[in-house]
Parts: sequence; C-alpha cells; structure tokens
Amino acid sequence: MRPFLFSKSTAANQAIAKKKSNTQFIAGGTNLVDLMKKHIANPDNLVDISSALPNKVENTAQGVSIGAMMRNSATATDPTILAKFPLVSKAILAGASPQIRNMASMGGNLLQRTRCPYFYDVTTPCNKRQPGSGCSAISGENRMSAVVGHSPQCIAVHPSDLCVALAALDATVKVMDKSNKTQSIAFKDFHRLPDNNPEKDNNLPADALIQSINLSNNNFAKNCSYVKLRDRDSYAFALISVAAALNLNGNKIIEARLASGGVAHKPWRWLEAEQFLKGKEATIANFEAAANIATKGLKPQMHNAFKIPMLKGAIETALKQCLNP
Amino acid sequence: MKQEYNFSRRFFLKTSSALGALAFIPRGVKAFYEDVKNYIIPTKEQIPLKVSINKKSYAIKADTRTTLLDLLREDLNLTGAKKGCDHGQCGACTVHIDGQRVLSCLTLAATLPGKEVTTIEGLANGDQLHPMQEAFIQCDGFQCGYCTPGQIMSAVACVNEGHTKSVAEIKEFMSGNLCRCGAYNGIVESIQKVAAQ
Amino acid sequence: MGFFDEPFDFNIAAEGRVEGIAKVTGAGKYSAEYKVEGLCHAVLVGSTIAAGTIKSINVANAKQVAGVIDIITHLNKPLVPGLADEAKIKEARLGFAVFHTDKIYFKGQPIALVVAETFEDATYAASLITATYEKTEAKVDFKEASNAIPLTSAGKDRGNLSALDSAVQVVEQEYNIKAEVHNPMEMHATIAEWKAPDKLKLFDKNQGVNNVQRTFSKLFAIPVDNIEVISEFVGGGFGSGLRVWPHTLACIMAAKQLNRPVKLMLTRPQMFYSVGYRPAAWQKIKLAANSDGKFIGMHHQAKNGTSVYENFNEGITRVARLIYNFENLKTEAATVPLNLSTPTWMRGPGDCTGDFAIESAIDELSYKLNIDPVALRIKNLALDKNPESGLPWSTNYINECIEKGASMINWSNRKSTPSQLKEGDWSVGYGMAVGAWNAGRGTASAAIQMQRDGSITVQTAMTDIGTGTGISMQNIAHERTGIAKNKIKIELGNSNLPPAPSQGGSNGLSSIGGAVVSATEMLKSKLAEYAASQNDAYKGAAVNDILLSDTGISLKNANNLFISYASIWDKNKLDILEVEASSGPGAERQKYAFCSSAAHFCKVKVNVKTGKVKLERMVTVADGGKIISEKAAANQMSGAAVGGIGMALMEEQLVDEKLDSLVANDFAGYHFPVNADAPIIEVAFINKPDPNINPQGSKGLGEVGIIGTAAAIANAIYNATGKRLRDLPITPDKVLLA
Repeated sequence: MRPFLFSKSTAANQAIAKKKSNTQFIAGGTNLVDLMKKHIANPDNLVDISSALPNKVENTAQGVSIGAMMRNSATATDPTILAKFPLVSKAILAGASPQIRNMASMGGNLLQRTRCPYFYDVTTPCNKRQPGSGCSAISGENRMSAVVGHSPQCIAVHPSDLCVALAALDATVKVMDKSNKTQSIAFKDFHRLPDNNPEKDNNLPADALIQSINLSNNNFAKNCSYVKLRDRDSYAFALISVAAALNLNGNKIIEARLASGGVAHKPWRWLEAEQFLKGKEATIANFEAAANIATKGLKPQMHNAFKIPMLKGAIETALKQCLNP
Repeated sequence: MKQEYNFSRRFFLKTSSALGALAFIPRGVKAFYEDVKNYIIPTKEQIPLKVSINKKSYAIKADTRTTLLDLLREDLNLTGAKKGCDHGQCGACTVHIDGQRVLSCLTLAATLPGKEVTTIEGLANGDQLHPMQEAFIQCDGFQCGYCTPGQIMSAVACVNEGHTKSVAEIKEFMSGNLCRCGAYNGIVESIQKVAAQ
Repeated sequence: MGFFDEPFDFNIAAEGRVEGIAKVTGAGKYSAEYKVEGLCHAVLVGSTIAAGTIKSINVANAKQVAGVIDIITHLNKPLVPGLADEAKIKEARLGFAVFHTDKIYFKGQPIALVVAETFEDATYAASLITATYEKTEAKVDFKEASNAIPLTSAGKDRGNLSALDSAVQVVEQEYNIKAEVHNPMEMHATIAEWKAPDKLKLFDKNQGVNNVQRTFSKLFAIPVDNIEVISEFVGGGFGSGLRVWPHTLACIMAAKQLNRPVKLMLTRPQMFYSVGYRPAAWQKIKLAANSDGKFIGMHHQAKNGTSVYENFNEGITRVARLIYNFENLKTEAATVPLNLSTPTWMRGPGDCTGDFAIESAIDELSYKLNIDPVALRIKNLALDKNPESGLPWSTNYINECIEKGASMINWSNRKSTPSQLKEGDWSVGYGMAVGAWNAGRGTASAAIQMQRDGSITVQTAMTDIGTGTGISMQNIAHERTGIAKNKIKIELGNSNLPPAPSQGGSNGLSSIGGAVVSATEMLKSKLAEYAASQNDAYKGAAVNDILLSDTGISLKNANNLFISYASIWDKNKLDILEVEASSGPGAERQKYAFCSSAAHFCKVKVNVKTGKVKLERMVTVADGGKIISEKAAANQMSGAAVGGIGMALMEEQLVDEKLDSLVANDFAGYHFPVNADAPIIEVAFINKPDPNINPQGSKGLGEVGIIGTAAAIANAIYNATGKRLRDLPITPDKVLLA
C-alpha cells in the first residue's frame, strides 16, 4: 500500500467535511483494502466512516430504510428484512463468505468494484483502472465478462449479488452531499454503463456518502428466489445470477421482477420479460418464453456465448423456484 | 525506527516548486515524467493505537497500512492467524472481532481501537482446549494445519450463528475457509460434534 | 525444538496426531513465523514481459521509500560461488539462476528484490520499481505451440499397433487438460540467516530439508553440515516443495548482501509462477477391444507444456504401462516449450493426467461394447504381474478396490444407458475409474533417544507436509516397542536430525517407516546389551525375543527377567540412550513389482438447464498395504478426492495468449473446491500388508487418491447426460454447450 493518513469520523457531515483531494472513505474495507494492497486505490487520506453512518434497519411509512453501515450478514438475518424482503437476504447469502459478509457494509456493497481480472492486474491495460490504456478483456479472457450494455471501452461486470436483488425491488439510495443535503437516487440510476467512462462505476455525486438504502413495501416476499451460477458451489463470483420475484394472485402473475448479475456493468433488469409475464399464468411455458425474451439480442464476448443458454436456464430455474421458495 | 528518507509528502504535494523542479529534468527521460506521481514518495504514517487482543491490552505504534493480520504475525508474535492469500480469498486469517468472524487481512489495525479481537491463541482457556479444538484433533479435521486456526475460528462462529442444521448448511457456511488438503470431512464432523454438545 | 514446546497436557495428543495440539492452537511455527532478531522483509518484483532482455531497471523511486535497506538486481547481486560463471550456472540445474541473467523467460520472472525494515515498506517500494526491456516474441499458447512439436517414442513398443485395426470396437479421441496450480495454503516462504560467513540457517517451506541443504551447500560452496534447514511445519505442498526454487536463493542472497536475516514470503499471485504447476496437456488415445471386452491394444500420445529454459517431461504415458494388459501398446510423448515458468510434479504427476484419458476412453468403450465398466476393467487388469517389467506384483488388490467400491456406492443402481435417471431438471449418473501408482521406497534414517523413565523421542529429518508422517512414526514405534504413545515424542523436519528423502511420490511413510522399525530394533539390542550385565540370559538375545514396556525390558518366554530401565540407567550411569538406524530398499526390488491402487466411484447430479454439476456421493477405496494410521490415511484419501473434484470440475490456470501472461492468478480467479463442493467422501481400505515393500507393510497413498477421480466424475457426467466431456476442467459452460 501507498502510505496514507488515517482518521475516523463519528458523523457523516464531519466525514464529508474531511474529504480533501484523494481521500477515500473506508467502511467494511473488504474491497478497498484489497484495492489498496494491489496499488489500484492509492488514497492520501483514509477516513473511517464505520461510526459515522446509520447501522439499523428501520421501518418507514413506505417500507424500510437499511442504514448504510448495516453489515451484510446482519441485514441478511434481520427479522424485518426476512419477513418483508427475503430476496435481499437470499442475494446477500449467495455472495462472498460469512467472514466477508460480517465485515462488508450495505453502502460499501453498492460501491464495490468489478472483479474483472485485468482490472486487478496492474501490468495489463484496463480503461477502468487507467483510462485510455485500453481494454485487455475484449481480446482476452472474457468468459466472466458482460453480454449486454458493454462498450468498446469496457466489458466488465458488476460483482454484487445484493445489488441484483435491490435492482429487482426498485430500491432507492439515499445519499448526503457536501452541503449536508440528502437526495434519493433510484437504484436503476445509481450504477452506470461503461460508455466512454468506464472508470466511473456509478453516479454517486462527488464527496457524497450513502446514508441508507430504502425499499418500498411490495407483494414479492412470498414468491421470490435468487439463483447464482458459478464455477464452484460457494465463495465465487457469479457467471450468471438471477433475482426473480412474482406477485401472484392464485396462479396469475400480477407483477414480475427479473434482474441479473454477471451480465452487465450494472445490475441488469429484464424489463421486457417482466412485462411479458405480467397478467400471465405462472406456467413453465410462460417462464420459458420470458427467458427467451430476456436472452434475445444479447451480445456475448469471444469466450462467453455460454452465458445465453445459462442465463435462460437460470431465469427459468429462478422463476420456478419462486413457486416453491 | 530510524527514517532516513523522512521528507514529508505534504511538503511535496503543497510545494509547487518541487513539482516545478521536475521540469528541469532532461526531456529524454520520458519515464521520469510518466512517473511523476510515483516520484512523490509519501512518508509512512505511524499512529499510536490501543488494541485489545485476547483480552490483553496493547499500546502500540502502527503504520496506518498495517493490517490486523500483519500486526498479529509480525509485531505481536501471534502467528496463529495465517496468511494464505492476503486478499480476502481464503479465510486462513479468520479471527473474531467483537465475537464475529472476520478476515484479519482485510482489517486495518487502525480501525481496531474500541474492539475486542480474539485469535486462535485466545480460544483455549489456559491449558484447557476449546471444545472445537478438541474436536478438530479427534476428527482429524486438518492435514497440513495451515488453514486450521482459521477453520476453527470460523467453526466456532458457525456454531454460535446456528448454521449447523445439516451437513449442507455446515458446508455452505464453512465455505469461506479454503483447505487445499481437502480435510473437509473432518471439519464438518468436528462442527457436528461440537454443535451436538 | 520439537512439537511439544507448548505447555499442554501431553495425554490429549494421544487421541490425534502428534502435532495436533500445535496445529489447533496456532502454536506450531511455519517457516515465516519464527522470531528472528534483526529480521528484515523482502518482496520480489517480477518482469512485466514474457520474453526479451532487461535494458534498465529504475530503482531510484523505490530507494526513496523510508525503510528500504537495499534492492538486489542482476546488476548488484552478491557473489554466489556456484553460479560464478556460465558453466557453473548450467551445472547448478536451477532452471534459471535468479539475478544471474538479463534474459527474461516468462512474465513475473524476478528482476529485483526489495529488502526493507517492514513488510509494508518493502511491498510499497516494490510497486515503484520499473524496468525497460527489449521484447522478443513470446509463446504461451500451449495449443498453438504444440502443433509444431513432433512426438517421439516414450517406452518400448509392445506387439504391433496394426492389431488394433482388426478390433471389433475402437475408441479414438483427444483429451485436453488445462494447467493446474498446487497452491498449498501456506505460500512458500523462507527466513535466511547467515550465522557466520560460511554458516547458514534457513526456516524454509519445502518437502525435503536435506535436498535444500545439499542444493545450497553446492551453490555457496560450504559444507552441508554448515547449513541448517528447519521445516518443522509445512503448510501443504502437493509437489511444489520438492524443488529448490529461485525465491529461496534470492532470499539467501539478500541475507548475504545485507548481513542480516531476511524473510521472504511469496504473494499468492507469485505462487502461480514461482513454484511449479501441473502443465497443460494434450492427449490422444486409440483403444481397441474384442467383442468380449478383451483389450487388444492402445496407442497413447501425449504432450505437456514446459518452459523455454528447462525441459520438464511429466511422464503422462507411464500409467499406460501399469494397470492393464495391453498386448499391443505404443506410447509417444513430447514437451512443448512455452514462455511460462517451469512446471513440476503435482500430486499424481503424469499418471493423473494420463489416467484421465485412458479411464475416459475405457468408459467410452464400455458403452460401445455394452459391457459394464466395472466388468470391463476387471477383465483387463494386469493382476499377476507388472505388464511392463514382467515382475510379479508383491501385492496388488486393485480388483478388490473395484469390487468394494462398487458395492459401497450401490453400482447396481446405475443405468447402462445414459440420461435415464431424472430428478426434475437434474440428471443423475454414476461413474467410476481406477488409478495406480508405482509404490516406491527410499533410504531413510531415524534416531531414537531414550530417557531413564522409558520415554523415547523418535527423530528424522523428513518433513510432515500434512500426510501424517509424525503420527505414523509414533504408531510404528509404539507397535514395535510397546511403549505407550504418550511416552513417544516425534521430532522431524529439521536437517540436524537423521537424513531422509524428500516427502513426495507417495514415498514418505514407505521410506521412513523402515528406518523407525530398524531404530526400534537397534534400541532393543542396545538395551539387551546393557541388561546382559545384570542377567546373562540377555546376552545375544534375538531382537524378536526382546520385549519392551513402559518401564523396562524383558525376554519372551522367560519369567522374572524383567529389568527396569531405571536400574539399567543407574548401573551404567546412562543419561540418554541413543540409537540411529538407516533402512532402504534391497533385493526385493529385483524380485517384485510394487504398486498402490485405488478405485473411485461417484454419483453426480447435472442440471440440464444450467450446466451445474453436483457431486452427490464420492467413494474411494484404496490398496495402500497395511494402514498405519487409519484416520490420517482416510483423511489423505478424502483430501485427494477433493483435489480430484477440483481437477475435474474447476481448476484451470488461465493464460492470456495476447498479453503473454497468466490471468486471474488468485483465489478469486483460480477456483479449487470449497467445503460445499465436496460431498462427505466415503473412504475404505483393503488394508492387507505388503510383506515385501518395507518392514511395516504399507504402501504410499498420496497419489492414488487423486489418480482416476477426474475420470470417474467425467464418466458419471456422461452416464447422467450422455455428454462425453474430454477436456478438463468441466465447468458448467462446457456441460451446457456440449
């Protein structure tokens, strides 16, 4: 690691005020410390915000507010989350390991960086790490890379499982900026596609801090599932993941939600497939049709054409699991 | 420790003349310009810390970069926590902080004040082994032993968390601890044994 | 120094391994964990190109980092007498001599070593070192490069391959296996300290302290005895510790240069190109049989990757000559030089790779012949003699392994046609394969020190990399002397102790066991000699008639001749009674052939929608002669099966052919099985002693546990889905697209 100054803040506004040039906030540190060890993140100042942010799940008029400093594991086992938003719990438990989930904060989970191997290898070109240097993955080992929404600058995927569930559930992210003003960002607008600026993962305003993640009450708790496919059974990043949720009336689908990880630079919603399922019967045939719609027009890389049938299978599996969660 | 090159980073950052001086470097040395950022060598920051490990209080001065794992292994001679990857990908460095299993390689020592760290060295009660340690011996839950302290710290937490209802559940909740010898049979058996007590 | 420096109740250990308490308490010291006064920290810097010449190295920035003591490169290295000139470098057979060349052979090759006061300082400074190179073309694409390499004969032809043309059924297929990396959990590390200009002390991770000692004795031109190598706890090896690698030399050079003790631990990414790996392999099998299933012959061709600076031939086709009778056999092989580091032996080297292809082909043939794969194998086993040497097997119970395994997994539940068993989106299938390994033995020494209270310490230089050498030595010593286990201490992994071969190739226990037996016999004779001064009956007593107990000596079939150790000690004014013995293979090797073997069975579930493969059951039955330590042996077998799951389903060193480099070289990118990937592995042993291999009758198990597991899994996937997958690893994408 490059040497840095360390300080701790006990309030969000205090932390933001401390933010000088090349300052980074550290919460769980599960990604940032790793990036610093690899000399990918080289802050001059590190501000510990683990005591500066809310760390509770609170009921609100519309639903719940999950404090940014809630640890992933505590969120996954929180009774309110389990009762009202079990999809969030399922997604969290499909990611990382118990130790990492005990450390990682909810806010930090949103901000974790891609696991594209070239991003982590400082001896190779990577536009996300070093803008303008090129993308090694496009012509290289891109089995894990994106199949939708990618650009000629970057084909990296977002690594989070939690975020796939949050995308599916239309969460909002409450952030506080330098002037202590808060604003809510819709989850679909929080992460971004790489376009010509793959160095930017998301639209969190400069010097702002995530305060909480908010979820509105829904009718998906009964029928939801998270399916993750990876190269081993646990403790690995997704080849493909699918968060599926159905609001059912008998066997009729009032509303469906489908989102995926491992496919794009941001958690990806399959809106057309959701639209298709709306009003239909929850049958295998309809699930297959929805999966076909979702997987149409994807643009795989040289080494990951398999993601199309895998995604199709994962969507079907996830939808089926919604019926027997 | 003596610091012979102890010039201040802030001096370099703030003093434009220092950066200006770079302009006098002959044009041929292109690499030099490309490396301007690296040329600014920040000095390391040492901060005083009070940390509590295995219920023992230590007043230390630590590099801000020092991880809990390196603090334990290099400075405090508590080498039970192992370095298997140093990047949060193997679980060999697992310790407990405030009773929760975490990875010491991804924990900066600077974040420790006010927290209680328990390492494998703090698990036994004097000469009396923790039941999980005894179970690992009885069930031969290891071979080379390198991942073992991490496995045991994780196993203790796994039981405390209640993730022991089935072999599949134990396996899933112990999957953050890699064992290259593949001693998973004995690890699962050890946990079942302790969970049953 | 021993396992038992810790203040714990010694009796608890008797339930488990001798080093159990040290391992579960974290008290056992692995090589990087010793406290050494004045220690400084070293970090290697690797080349960023794969082929070419170093033009310049910029260490100026790194030198400015507070705490940096020195930076070693090929320009300022200390003198290593054994590498003083090109001829000596060649003679040293180090592969490449670190810091003794400006040539770059692979990406990551060490070009500099930063030594600093702290690990943090050294790591940061290392990140600031840059170099310029003159690049030349690099080859890292095994598939592409192998096309141009011709095969040459690998062993004597048997019969004539044209006989295969008359066969009723022929399987002719190609098999590809990606490179695998040992990745023991402990990253290789060394602490080097020059105690005097000609005296070196090393705490080092390796699988053979005497090998390390000899290597550096030659390189630094100092007597072997002046080098002390301590490797008391070794955090796994799987073959990576059988050679002396450049980083250890680099660390010793730095210690010499600085005249301070230096610690160097490889980083996990460095582990992928610093200590060997199982090379990528291509194979082609042509296997032919009569309609009754009798093998007519086989043509086995194989190529494996190697480096451009060293030729490593894995011996992939060796196993073709071990298990089955092939009247007609031709084996050919080649190595393919690549700009990657040199591969090395990895668990079941060669045989593991070759066996996958052969056992896959046999399975394929069984479907063509419509003969059960179990029956087909049993029909063709070379059970009476080694088919290559013609020597009779001393013991070979591979058929019993197969029969027992088939019964354990309920083989009769298997359907002889693929994709018959369904559970929703899952297809269920059964598969099996066998493996064997030439069972070796080396010459080893052991010492026993006895105290007045009858407690003994058994010592050897051999390491215990996790296999259970220590507990097995204790068991043998206990069985041979009758002294209680809690009075038997074991000391090992230290070059000051009696010499022993490296622990590898399943030879560890086979070698040291004999030495322990010999030492116990010597101890008995020695005690009888002393006892003879008190009672003539002991004079010239045969070893087999001498009985020891916790408290004293007695003679078989003779009453009242008990003499306590205490009286022997007192009468002869003894302090410690010490014996040392050496034991090794002999004439039996000319009379018999020796092999260990195993049969692997598994039941898999394959998700037809997602390609996911799940091991439902895994059964492994082995013939390892007499089992000395049941728990440790079963642990080793189940662990090897887990390794086999990795080989079959996930392990793959990714290589970027355009960037000439390894990618994803960490545990996020290189997957080996986690706990959830493995079912509870079911292990059984035939447990019949081999009367000729060594005094204790045990045959090594380390390799046979993994040889064959990958094929068993691939065969089960075929049985479940009808998809024959011949390229490893079988990741979900391959299952899906097949």
